[in-house]
Amino acid sequence: MNEFVQVLLFGLTLGGVYALMASGLTLVFGVMRIVNLAHAIFMILAAYIAYFAFTIYNIDPIISIFITMPVMFFVGIAVYWLFFARIKGTARTGELTVLLTFALALMAEGLLGYFFSNVYRSANPPYATQALHFGPYILSAGQFYATLMSISLIALLWAFLKYSRIGYAIRATMQNISAAQVVGVNVERMSMVAFGIGMALAGASGSMMSFLFTFYPGKHWEWIAILLALIVLGGMGSLGGALAGAFILAISSALVGHYFGFTWSPITFFLALFIILLFRPQGLFGKKMEA
Amino acid sequence: MALLEVDNIRAGYGDGPDILKGLSMEIEQGKTYCIIGPNGAGKSTLLRAICGLLHPREGNVTFKGEVLNKLRTDEILRRGISFVPQDRCLFPDMSVKENLRMGGYILRNRKELEDRIEEVLVMFPILEKCGSQQAKTLSGGQQQMLAIGRALVLRPEVIMLDEPSLGLAPKIAQYIFDIIAQLKDAGMTIILVEQNARKGLECADWGCVLDLGYNRFEGPANTILNDPRIQELYLGRQKQDRQEKTA
Repeated sequence: MNEFVQVLLFGLTLGGVYALMASGLTLVFGVMRIVNLAHAIFMILAAYIAYFAFTIYNIDPIISIFITMPVMFFVGIAVYWLFFARIKGTARTGELTVLLTFALALMAEGLLGYFFSNVYRSANPPYATQALHFGPYILSAGQFYATLMSISLIALLWAFLKYSRIGYAIRATMQNISAAQVVGVNVERMSMVAFGIGMALAGASGSMMSFLFTFYPGKHWEWIAILLALIVLGGMGSLGGALAGAFILAISSALVGHYFGFTWSPITFFLALFIILLFRPQGLFGKKMEA
Repeated sequence: MALLEVDNIRAGYGDGPDILKGLSMEIEQGKTYCIIGPNGAGKSTLLRAICGLLHPREGNVTFKGEVLNKLRTDEILRRGISFVPQDRCLFPDMSVKENLRMGGYILRNRKELEDRIEEVLVMFPILEKCGSQQAKTLSGGQQQMLAIGRALVLRPEVIMLDEPSLGLAPKIAQYIFDIIAQLKDAGMTIILVEQNARKGLECADWGCVLDLGYNRFEGPANTILNDPRIQELYLGRQKQDRQEKTA
Protein backbone atom coordinates (compact mmCIF):
# COMPACT_ATOMS: atom_id res chain seq x y z
CA MET A 1 0.00 0.00 0.00
CA ASN A 2 2.82 2.38 0.97
CA GLU A 3 4.50 1.67 -2.33
CA PHE A 4 1.29 2.48 -4.22
CA VAL A 5 0.85 5.80 -2.38
CA GLN A 6 4.50 6.63 -3.00
CA VAL A 7 4.06 6.14 -6.76
CA LEU A 8 0.81 8.07 -6.63
CA LEU A 9 2.58 11.01 -4.98
CA PHE A 10 5.32 10.84 -7.58
CA GLY A 11 2.67 11.04 -10.32
CA LEU A 12 0.86 13.88 -8.56
CA THR A 13 3.98 16.02 -8.30
CA LEU A 14 4.65 15.54 -12.00
CA GLY A 15 0.99 16.17 -12.86
CA GLY A 16 1.12 19.81 -11.75
CA VAL A 17 4.01 20.54 -14.11
CA TYR A 18 2.33 18.70 -16.98
CA ALA A 19 -0.82 20.72 -16.30
CA LEU A 20 1.14 23.98 -16.56
CA MET A 21 2.67 22.81 -19.84
CA ALA A 22 -0.72 21.81 -21.25
CA SER A 23 -2.61 24.89 -20.03
CA GLY A 24 -0.92 27.24 -22.51
CA LEU A 25 -1.55 24.87 -25.39
CA THR A 26 -5.21 24.41 -24.54
CA LEU A 27 -5.76 28.15 -23.95
CA VAL A 28 -4.42 28.96 -27.42
CA PHE A 29 -6.58 26.24 -28.95
CA GLY A 30 -9.64 27.46 -27.06
CA VAL A 31 -9.35 31.04 -28.26
CA MET A 32 -7.79 30.67 -31.69
CA ARG A 33 -8.85 27.13 -32.62
CA ILE A 34 -5.30 26.26 -33.60
CA VAL A 35 -3.14 23.41 -32.41
CA ASN A 36 0.20 25.06 -31.77
CA LEU A 37 2.67 22.34 -32.67
CA ALA A 38 5.47 24.77 -31.81
CA HIS A 39 4.39 25.03 -28.15
CA ALA A 40 6.97 22.51 -26.92
CA ILE A 41 9.91 24.00 -28.82
CA PHE A 42 9.11 27.33 -27.18
CA MET A 43 9.15 25.54 -23.82
CA ILE A 44 12.63 24.30 -24.74
CA LEU A 45 13.68 27.83 -25.73
CA ALA A 46 12.53 29.02 -22.29
CA ALA A 47 14.38 26.09 -20.69
CA TYR A 48 17.58 27.35 -22.35
CA ILE A 49 16.92 30.85 -21.01
CA ALA A 50 16.41 29.47 -17.50
CA TYR A 51 19.42 27.18 -17.85
CA PHE A 52 21.77 30.00 -18.86
CA ALA A 53 20.27 32.36 -16.28
CA PHE A 54 21.17 29.73 -13.68
CA THR A 55 24.62 28.74 -14.96
CA ILE A 56 25.80 32.27 -15.80
CA TYR A 57 23.96 34.51 -13.32
CA ASN A 58 23.05 31.93 -10.69
CA ILE A 59 19.36 32.81 -10.95
CA ASP A 60 17.20 30.08 -9.45
CA PRO A 61 15.27 28.24 -12.22
CA ILE A 62 11.96 28.61 -10.38
CA ILE A 63 12.57 32.34 -9.89
CA SER A 64 13.55 32.57 -13.56
CA ILE A 65 9.85 32.50 -14.45
CA PHE A 66 10.01 36.26 -13.89
CA ILE A 67 12.32 36.37 -16.90
CA THR A 68 10.99 33.56 -19.08
CA MET A 69 7.31 34.48 -18.78
CA PRO A 70 7.55 38.10 -19.95
CA VAL A 71 10.17 37.24 -22.59
CA MET A 72 8.02 34.44 -24.01
CA PHE A 73 4.90 36.62 -23.81
CA PHE A 74 6.51 39.16 -26.12
CA VAL A 75 7.94 36.41 -28.34
CA GLY A 76 4.34 35.16 -28.60
CA ILE A 77 3.01 38.59 -29.53
CA ALA A 78 5.72 38.93 -32.18
CA VAL A 79 5.07 35.44 -33.59
CA TYR A 80 1.33 36.13 -33.68
CA TRP A 81 1.77 39.46 -35.39
CA LEU A 82 4.34 38.16 -37.88
CA PHE A 83 2.63 34.92 -38.85
CA PHE A 84 -0.88 34.28 -37.57
CA ALA A 85 -2.34 37.72 -38.16
CA ARG A 86 -1.42 37.42 -41.82
CA ILE A 87 -3.21 34.17 -42.53
CA LYS A 88 -6.31 34.87 -40.43
CA GLY A 89 -9.49 35.09 -42.41
CA THR A 90 -8.11 33.20 -45.41
CA ALA A 91 -10.14 30.32 -46.78
CA ARG A 92 -7.92 27.60 -45.32
CA THR A 93 -6.83 29.20 -42.05
CA GLY A 94 -7.27 25.94 -40.10
CA GLU A 95 -4.99 23.86 -42.31
CA LEU A 96 -2.52 26.70 -42.74
CA THR A 97 -2.06 27.18 -39.00
CA VAL A 98 -1.16 23.50 -38.56
CA LEU A 99 1.46 23.78 -41.32
CA LEU A 100 2.63 27.11 -39.98
CA THR A 101 3.14 25.90 -36.41
CA PHE A 102 4.86 22.76 -37.75
CA ALA A 103 7.21 24.93 -39.83
CA LEU A 104 7.80 27.23 -36.83
CA ALA A 105 8.71 24.22 -34.69
CA LEU A 106 11.18 23.00 -37.32
CA MET A 107 12.74 26.44 -37.75
CA ALA A 108 13.06 27.04 -34.02
CA GLU A 109 14.52 23.54 -33.53
CA GLY A 110 17.09 24.23 -36.27
CA LEU A 111 18.06 27.58 -34.78
CA LEU A 112 18.36 26.22 -31.23
CA GLY A 113 20.38 23.27 -32.55
CA TYR A 114 22.70 25.67 -34.39
CA PHE A 115 23.32 27.86 -31.35
CA PHE A 116 23.28 25.32 -28.53
CA SER A 117 23.96 21.99 -30.31
CA ASN A 118 22.08 18.83 -29.45
CA VAL A 119 23.86 18.26 -26.14
CA TYR A 120 21.65 17.16 -23.24
CA ARG A 121 21.43 19.89 -20.61
CA SER A 122 19.82 20.32 -17.24
CA ALA A 123 20.14 23.04 -14.61
CA ASN A 124 21.30 21.80 -11.22
CA PRO A 125 19.92 23.89 -8.37
CA PRO A 126 20.54 22.31 -4.94
CA TYR A 127 16.93 21.16 -4.50
CA ALA A 128 17.02 19.23 -7.81
CA THR A 129 18.74 16.35 -6.04
CA GLN A 130 17.22 16.76 -2.58
CA ALA A 131 14.40 14.72 -1.12
CA LEU A 132 11.57 15.77 1.15
CA HIS A 133 10.28 13.33 3.76
CA PHE A 134 6.57 13.25 4.57
CA GLY A 135 6.22 10.46 7.12
CA PRO A 136 7.04 7.24 5.30
CA TYR A 137 6.93 8.94 1.91
CA ILE A 138 9.73 10.60 0.02
CA LEU A 139 9.24 13.27 -2.61
CA SER A 140 11.71 14.87 -4.95
CA ALA A 141 12.11 18.42 -3.66
CA GLY A 142 12.53 19.77 -7.18
CA GLN A 143 9.33 18.11 -8.40
CA PHE A 144 7.45 19.24 -5.31
CA TYR A 145 8.47 22.90 -5.63
CA ALA A 146 7.88 22.87 -9.38
CA THR A 147 4.40 21.48 -8.91
CA LEU A 148 3.62 24.01 -6.19
CA MET A 149 4.70 26.83 -8.49
CA SER A 150 2.82 25.31 -11.43
CA ILE A 151 -0.41 24.99 -9.45
CA SER A 152 -0.01 28.56 -8.19
CA LEU A 153 0.42 29.82 -11.74
CA ILE A 154 -2.62 27.87 -12.93
CA ALA A 155 -4.64 29.32 -10.02
CA LEU A 156 -3.50 32.81 -11.02
CA LEU A 157 -4.46 32.12 -14.61
CA TRP A 158 -7.88 30.90 -13.45
CA ALA A 159 -8.42 34.02 -11.32
CA PHE A 160 -7.31 36.23 -14.20
CA LEU A 161 -9.74 34.53 -16.58
CA LYS A 162 -12.54 34.57 -14.03
CA TYR A 163 -12.33 38.12 -12.70
CA SER A 164 -10.43 40.43 -15.03
CA ARG A 165 -11.99 42.27 -17.96
CA ILE A 166 -9.53 40.71 -20.41
CA GLY A 167 -10.15 37.35 -18.77
CA TYR A 168 -13.89 37.72 -19.38
CA ALA A 169 -13.19 38.55 -23.01
CA ILE A 170 -10.86 35.58 -23.44
CA ARG A 171 -13.38 33.20 -21.87
CA ALA A 172 -16.12 34.69 -24.02
CA THR A 173 -14.04 34.14 -27.15
CA MET A 174 -13.32 30.56 -26.05
CA GLN A 175 -17.02 29.87 -25.60
CA ASN A 176 -18.48 31.56 -28.65
CA ILE A 177 -16.41 33.66 -31.05
CA SER A 178 -19.45 35.10 -32.87
CA ALA A 179 -21.09 36.12 -29.59
CA ALA A 180 -17.85 37.73 -28.45
CA GLN A 181 -17.78 39.81 -31.62
CA VAL A 182 -21.42 40.79 -31.19
CA VAL A 183 -20.78 42.23 -27.72
CA GLY A 184 -17.79 44.18 -28.95
CA VAL A 185 -14.83 42.00 -28.00
CA ASN A 186 -11.96 42.68 -30.36
CA VAL A 187 -11.45 39.00 -31.11
CA GLU A 188 -8.28 39.63 -33.09
CA ARG A 189 -6.65 41.43 -30.16
CA MET A 190 -7.86 38.81 -27.69
CA SER A 191 -6.35 36.08 -29.87
CA MET A 192 -3.04 37.91 -29.77
CA VAL A 193 -3.19 38.34 -25.99
CA ALA A 194 -4.22 34.71 -25.49
CA PHE A 195 -1.37 33.55 -27.71
CA GLY A 196 1.00 35.71 -25.66
CA ILE A 197 -0.33 34.24 -22.40
CA GLY A 198 -0.06 30.72 -23.85
CA MET A 199 3.57 31.41 -24.68
CA ALA A 200 4.19 32.93 -21.25
CA LEU A 201 2.90 29.67 -19.77
CA ALA A 202 5.26 27.80 -22.11
CA GLY A 203 7.95 30.08 -20.67
CA ALA A 204 7.13 29.11 -17.10
CA SER A 205 6.99 25.44 -18.14
CA GLY A 206 10.43 25.82 -19.69
CA SER A 207 11.79 27.14 -16.39
CA MET A 208 10.47 24.03 -14.61
CA MET A 209 11.71 21.77 -17.38
CA SER A 210 15.22 23.22 -17.11
CA PHE A 211 15.88 21.42 -13.83
CA LEU A 212 13.31 18.61 -13.81
CA PHE A 213 14.24 17.01 -17.10
CA THR A 214 17.19 16.89 -19.44
CA PHE A 215 16.51 18.75 -22.65
CA TYR A 216 17.91 19.42 -26.10
CA PRO A 217 16.17 20.99 -29.14
CA GLY A 218 14.96 17.74 -30.73
CA LYS A 219 13.26 16.73 -27.48
CA HIS A 220 10.25 18.93 -28.27
CA TRP A 221 8.66 16.30 -30.54
CA GLU A 222 8.39 13.95 -27.59
CA TRP A 223 6.92 16.71 -25.43
CA ILE A 224 4.36 17.95 -27.94
CA ALA A 225 3.11 14.36 -28.38
CA ILE A 226 2.67 14.06 -24.61
CA LEU A 227 0.97 17.46 -24.33
CA LEU A 228 -1.43 16.64 -27.16
CA ALA A 229 -2.39 13.44 -25.36
CA LEU A 230 -3.08 15.47 -22.18
CA ILE A 231 -5.29 18.06 -23.80
CA VAL A 232 -7.14 15.58 -26.01
CA LEU A 233 -7.92 13.48 -22.93
CA GLY A 234 -9.17 16.51 -21.00
CA GLY A 235 -11.01 18.04 -23.98
CA MET A 236 -9.29 20.51 -26.26
CA GLY A 237 -9.81 24.10 -25.24
CA SER A 238 -10.82 23.22 -21.67
CA LEU A 239 -8.47 24.44 -18.92
CA GLY A 240 -10.09 22.20 -16.34
CA GLY A 241 -9.76 19.36 -18.82
CA ALA A 242 -6.05 20.02 -19.29
CA LEU A 243 -5.60 19.94 -15.52
CA ALA A 244 -7.53 16.68 -15.17
CA GLY A 245 -5.82 15.13 -18.20
CA ALA A 246 -2.40 16.06 -16.84
CA PHE A 247 -2.98 14.52 -13.42
CA ILE A 248 -4.68 11.39 -14.76
CA LEU A 249 -1.94 10.68 -17.25
CA ALA A 250 0.95 11.64 -14.97
CA ILE A 251 -0.34 9.25 -12.30
CA SER A 252 -1.14 6.51 -14.83
CA SER A 253 2.28 6.83 -16.39
CA ALA A 254 3.95 6.67 -12.97
CA LEU A 255 1.96 3.54 -12.09
CA VAL A 256 2.72 1.89 -15.44
CA GLY A 257 6.39 2.80 -15.04
CA HIS A 258 6.51 1.33 -11.55
CA TYR A 259 4.65 -1.89 -12.20
CA PHE A 260 5.70 -2.65 -15.81
CA GLY A 261 9.04 -0.86 -16.10
CA PHE A 262 9.87 2.69 -17.14
CA THR A 263 10.31 1.81 -20.80
CA TRP A 264 6.52 1.33 -20.88
CA SER A 265 5.78 4.60 -19.17
CA PRO A 266 5.59 6.87 -22.28
CA ILE A 267 3.20 4.50 -24.02
CA THR A 268 0.55 5.38 -21.39
CA PHE A 269 0.05 8.78 -23.05
CA PHE A 270 -0.39 7.39 -26.54
CA LEU A 271 -2.56 4.50 -25.44
CA ALA A 272 -4.82 6.98 -23.63
CA LEU A 273 -4.88 9.18 -26.75
CA PHE A 274 -5.86 6.18 -28.87
CA ILE A 275 -8.62 5.05 -26.50
CA ILE A 276 -10.08 8.52 -25.96
CA LEU A 277 -10.17 9.23 -29.70
CA LEU A 278 -11.97 5.95 -30.26
CA PHE A 279 -14.58 6.23 -27.52
CA ARG A 280 -14.87 9.91 -26.57
CA PRO A 281 -13.21 12.09 -29.19
CA GLN A 282 -14.35 15.30 -27.49
CA GLY A 283 -12.34 14.31 -24.39
CA LEU A 284 -13.49 14.22 -20.78
CA PHE A 285 -14.56 17.87 -20.53
CA GLY A 286 -14.75 18.91 -24.17
CA LYS A 287 -17.84 19.67 -26.21
CA LYS A 288 -18.89 17.57 -29.16
CA MET A 289 -17.85 19.14 -32.43
CA GLU A 290 -20.76 19.85 -34.69
CA ALA A 291 -20.66 18.75 -38.31
CA MET B 1 -31.94 63.11 -42.67
CA ALA B 2 -32.29 59.43 -41.93
CA LEU B 3 -30.71 58.11 -38.73
CA LEU B 4 -29.21 55.13 -40.51
CA GLU B 5 -28.69 54.90 -44.21
CA VAL B 6 -27.73 51.88 -46.28
CA ASP B 7 -26.65 53.09 -49.66
CA ASN B 8 -26.24 50.67 -52.54
CA ILE B 9 -24.21 48.12 -50.59
CA ARG B 10 -22.72 44.91 -51.90
CA ALA B 11 -21.61 42.36 -49.35
CA GLY B 12 -20.85 38.65 -49.14
CA TYR B 13 -18.85 36.10 -47.17
CA GLY B 14 -15.17 35.32 -47.82
CA ASP B 15 -14.46 34.94 -51.51
CA GLY B 16 -18.08 33.98 -52.21
CA PRO B 17 -20.52 35.84 -54.42
CA ASP B 18 -22.36 38.99 -53.35
CA ILE B 19 -25.33 38.25 -51.11
CA LEU B 20 -26.38 41.90 -51.05
CA LYS B 21 -26.23 43.21 -54.60
CA GLY B 22 -26.68 46.92 -54.32
CA LEU B 23 -29.19 47.24 -51.50
CA SER B 24 -30.40 50.59 -50.22
CA MET B 25 -32.70 51.59 -47.40
CA GLU B 26 -33.22 54.41 -44.91
CA ILE B 27 -34.00 54.03 -41.23
CA GLU B 28 -35.63 56.88 -39.36
CA GLN B 29 -35.29 57.52 -35.66
CA GLY B 30 -37.86 55.95 -33.36
CA LYS B 31 -39.49 53.77 -36.00
CA THR B 32 -39.76 50.02 -36.20
CA TYR B 33 -38.80 48.32 -39.45
CA CYS B 34 -39.64 44.76 -40.34
CA ILE B 35 -37.55 43.12 -43.04
CA ILE B 36 -39.06 40.10 -44.71
CA GLY B 37 -38.09 37.95 -47.65
CA PRO B 38 -37.38 34.36 -48.64
CA ASN B 39 -34.34 32.36 -47.49
CA GLY B 40 -31.15 33.67 -49.06
CA ALA B 41 -32.64 37.13 -49.65
CA GLY B 42 -29.86 38.70 -47.57
CA LYS B 43 -31.84 39.72 -44.46
CA SER B 44 -29.32 38.51 -41.90
CA THR B 45 -26.42 39.59 -44.10
CA LEU B 46 -27.83 43.12 -44.11
CA LEU B 47 -27.89 43.22 -40.30
CA ARG B 48 -24.36 41.81 -40.12
CA ALA B 49 -23.16 44.45 -42.57
CA ILE B 50 -24.72 47.23 -40.51
CA CYS B 51 -23.16 46.08 -37.23
CA GLY B 52 -19.69 45.53 -38.63
CA LEU B 53 -19.56 41.74 -38.53
CA LEU B 54 -19.27 41.91 -42.30
CA HIS B 55 -17.71 44.78 -44.21
CA PRO B 56 -19.49 45.93 -47.37
CA ARG B 57 -17.53 45.42 -50.58
CA GLU B 58 -19.16 48.47 -52.11
CA GLY B 59 -21.58 51.17 -51.02
CA ASN B 60 -21.91 52.83 -47.63
CA VAL B 61 -23.60 52.29 -44.29
CA THR B 62 -24.01 55.70 -42.68
CA PHE B 63 -25.14 56.41 -39.10
CA LYS B 64 -25.86 60.03 -38.16
CA GLY B 65 -23.83 61.09 -41.16
CA GLU B 66 -20.79 58.95 -40.27
CA VAL B 67 -19.74 56.13 -42.60
CA LEU B 68 -19.51 52.86 -40.64
CA ASN B 69 -18.06 50.65 -43.39
CA LYS B 70 -14.59 50.10 -41.97
CA LEU B 71 -15.47 50.23 -38.28
CA ARG B 72 -15.23 47.20 -36.02
CA THR B 73 -18.28 45.88 -34.19
CA ASP B 74 -17.15 47.36 -30.85
CA GLU B 75 -16.81 50.78 -32.48
CA ILE B 76 -20.29 50.49 -33.96
CA LEU B 77 -21.68 49.38 -30.59
CA ARG B 78 -20.18 52.49 -29.03
CA ARG B 79 -22.11 54.58 -31.54
CA GLY B 80 -25.38 53.05 -30.37
CA ILE B 81 -26.24 50.13 -32.65
CA SER B 82 -26.77 46.73 -31.00
CA PHE B 83 -27.44 43.41 -32.66
CA VAL B 84 -29.22 40.28 -31.43
CA PRO B 85 -28.26 37.49 -33.85
CA GLN B 86 -30.51 34.69 -35.01
CA ASP B 87 -28.85 31.92 -32.97
CA ARG B 88 -28.90 34.18 -29.85
CA CYS B 89 -25.13 33.91 -29.57
CA LEU B 90 -24.89 33.52 -25.82
CA PHE B 91 -21.92 32.37 -23.78
CA PRO B 92 -23.17 28.94 -22.79
CA ASP B 93 -20.93 28.30 -19.80
CA MET B 94 -21.35 31.77 -18.32
CA SER B 95 -24.13 32.61 -15.90
CA VAL B 96 -27.03 34.91 -16.82
CA LYS B 97 -25.37 37.77 -14.93
CA GLU B 98 -22.02 37.13 -16.59
CA ASN B 99 -23.72 37.17 -19.99
CA LEU B 100 -25.31 40.50 -19.13
CA ARG B 101 -21.95 41.77 -17.94
CA MET B 102 -20.49 40.78 -21.28
CA GLY B 103 -23.28 42.81 -22.91
CA GLY B 104 -21.67 45.86 -21.35
CA TYR B 105 -18.14 44.76 -22.13
CA ILE B 106 -17.30 48.04 -23.84
CA LEU B 107 -18.34 50.04 -20.75
CA ARG B 108 -15.37 50.85 -18.54
CA ASN B 109 -17.33 52.07 -15.51
CA ARG B 110 -18.25 49.07 -13.36
CA LYS B 111 -20.86 50.94 -11.31
CA GLU B 112 -22.60 52.13 -14.46
CA LEU B 113 -22.52 48.60 -15.83
CA GLU B 114 -24.07 47.13 -12.68
CA ASP B 115 -26.80 49.83 -12.74
CA ARG B 116 -27.66 49.01 -16.31
CA ILE B 117 -27.75 45.30 -15.58
CA GLU B 118 -30.21 46.09 -12.78
CA GLU B 119 -32.39 48.02 -15.27
CA VAL B 120 -32.43 45.01 -17.60
CA LEU B 121 -33.29 42.68 -14.75
CA VAL B 122 -36.24 44.91 -13.85
CA MET B 123 -37.43 44.61 -17.43
CA PHE B 124 -36.93 40.82 -17.45
CA PRO B 125 -37.74 39.64 -13.91
CA ILE B 126 -37.38 36.03 -15.01
CA LEU B 127 -33.68 36.64 -15.65
CA GLU B 128 -33.28 37.95 -12.11
CA LYS B 129 -34.56 34.64 -10.78
CA CYS B 130 -32.03 32.60 -12.73
CA GLY B 131 -29.14 35.06 -12.44
CA SER B 132 -26.57 32.50 -11.41
CA GLN B 133 -27.76 29.81 -13.80
CA GLN B 134 -25.58 28.96 -16.81
CA ALA B 135 -27.01 30.26 -20.09
CA LYS B 136 -26.96 26.80 -21.65
CA THR B 137 -29.42 25.55 -19.04
CA LEU B 138 -32.08 28.16 -19.87
CA SER B 139 -35.15 27.48 -21.98
CA GLY B 140 -35.34 28.86 -25.54
CA GLY B 141 -37.54 31.76 -24.45
CA GLN B 142 -35.31 32.64 -21.51
CA GLN B 143 -32.27 32.52 -23.80
CA GLN B 144 -33.95 34.92 -26.21
CA MET B 145 -34.82 37.28 -23.36
CA LEU B 146 -31.22 37.10 -22.19
CA ALA B 147 -29.96 37.85 -25.71
CA ILE B 148 -32.25 40.89 -25.98
CA GLY B 149 -31.47 41.98 -22.42
CA ARG B 150 -27.75 41.68 -23.11
CA ALA B 151 -28.11 43.99 -26.12
CA LEU B 152 -30.11 46.47 -24.04
CA VAL B 153 -27.37 46.83 -21.42
CA LEU B 154 -25.73 49.38 -23.71
CA ARG B 155 -29.00 51.39 -24.02
CA PRO B 156 -28.66 51.41 -27.80
CA GLU B 157 -30.35 53.91 -30.08
CA VAL B 158 -30.90 51.20 -32.68
CA ILE B 159 -31.51 47.55 -31.87
CA MET B 160 -31.46 44.95 -34.62
CA LEU B 161 -33.21 41.66 -33.93
CA ASP B 162 -32.67 38.70 -36.22
CA GLU B 163 -35.54 36.20 -36.07
CA PRO B 164 -36.31 36.73 -32.37
CA SER B 165 -39.25 34.32 -32.37
CA LEU B 166 -37.44 31.51 -34.17
CA GLY B 167 -38.03 28.14 -32.54
CA LEU B 168 -40.17 29.50 -29.73
CA ALA B 169 -43.57 28.27 -28.62
CA PRO B 170 -46.37 30.68 -29.72
CA LYS B 171 -46.98 31.92 -26.17
CA ILE B 172 -43.30 32.68 -25.62
CA ALA B 173 -43.02 34.23 -29.09
CA GLN B 174 -45.91 36.51 -28.21
CA TYR B 175 -44.09 37.54 -25.03
CA ILE B 176 -41.04 38.45 -27.13
CA PHE B 177 -43.25 40.54 -29.46
CA ASP B 178 -44.71 42.28 -26.39
CA ILE B 179 -41.17 43.19 -25.35
CA ILE B 180 -40.50 44.56 -28.84
CA ALA B 181 -43.66 46.63 -28.54
CA GLN B 182 -42.40 47.98 -25.19
CA LEU B 183 -39.10 48.98 -26.78
CA LYS B 184 -41.01 50.64 -29.59
CA ASP B 185 -43.14 52.57 -27.11
CA ALA B 186 -39.97 53.67 -25.35
CA GLY B 187 -38.92 55.32 -28.62
CA MET B 188 -36.18 52.91 -29.64
CA THR B 189 -35.39 52.43 -33.31
CA ILE B 190 -35.89 48.77 -34.13
CA ILE B 191 -34.88 46.74 -37.16
CA LEU B 192 -36.55 43.38 -37.08
CA VAL B 193 -35.93 40.43 -39.35
CA GLU B 194 -38.74 37.98 -38.78
CA GLN B 195 -39.73 34.66 -40.32
CA ASN B 196 -43.21 35.14 -38.91
CA ALA B 197 -43.67 37.98 -41.42
CA ARG B 198 -47.28 38.71 -40.51
CA LYS B 199 -46.49 39.06 -36.82
CA GLY B 200 -43.38 41.11 -37.54
CA LEU B 201 -45.22 43.51 -39.84
CA GLU B 202 -48.04 43.88 -37.35
CA CYS B 203 -45.68 45.38 -34.80
CA ALA B 204 -43.70 47.48 -37.32
CA ASP B 205 -44.21 50.94 -38.82
CA TRP B 206 -42.45 50.19 -42.04
CA GLY B 207 -41.81 47.00 -44.00
CA CYS B 208 -39.11 46.08 -46.49
CA VAL B 209 -39.23 43.08 -48.78
CA LEU B 210 -35.82 41.73 -49.71
CA ASP B 211 -35.20 39.27 -52.51
CA LEU B 212 -31.92 38.02 -53.98
CA GLY B 213 -29.96 40.77 -52.34
CA TYR B 214 -32.15 43.69 -53.41
CA ASN B 215 -34.69 45.79 -51.56
CA ARG B 216 -37.60 44.87 -53.87
CA PHE B 217 -40.36 46.70 -52.16
CA GLU B 218 -40.92 48.86 -49.12
CA GLY B 219 -43.69 50.86 -47.58
CA PRO B 220 -45.85 51.27 -44.49
CA ALA B 221 -46.14 47.93 -42.74
CA ASN B 222 -49.96 47.95 -43.11
CA THR B 223 -49.71 48.45 -46.85
CA ILE B 224 -47.32 45.53 -47.20
CA LEU B 225 -49.47 43.41 -44.94
CA ASN B 226 -52.47 44.01 -47.21
CA ASP B 227 -50.69 43.94 -50.56
CA PRO B 228 -52.00 40.86 -52.40
CA ARG B 229 -48.68 40.24 -54.21
CA ILE B 230 -46.76 40.26 -50.96
CA GLN B 231 -49.44 38.16 -49.31
CA GLU B 232 -49.10 35.52 -51.99
CA LEU B 233 -45.34 35.56 -52.05
CA TYR B 234 -44.34 35.92 -48.43
CA LEU B 235 -47.32 35.81 -46.13
CA GLY B 236 -48.70 32.46 -47.26
CA ARG B 237 -52.13 33.69 -48.37
CA GLN B 238 -52.48 31.11 -51.14
CA LYS B 239 -51.67 28.38 -48.70
CA GLN B 240 -54.15 29.85 -46.24
CA ASP B 241 -56.86 30.09 -48.93
CA ARG B 242 -56.25 26.52 -49.98
CA GLN B 243 -56.50 25.40 -46.39
CA GLU B 244 -59.77 27.31 -46.00
CA LYS B 245 -61.20 25.67 -49.18
CA THR B 246 -60.17 22.23 -48.00
CA ALA B 247 -61.80 22.91 -44.66
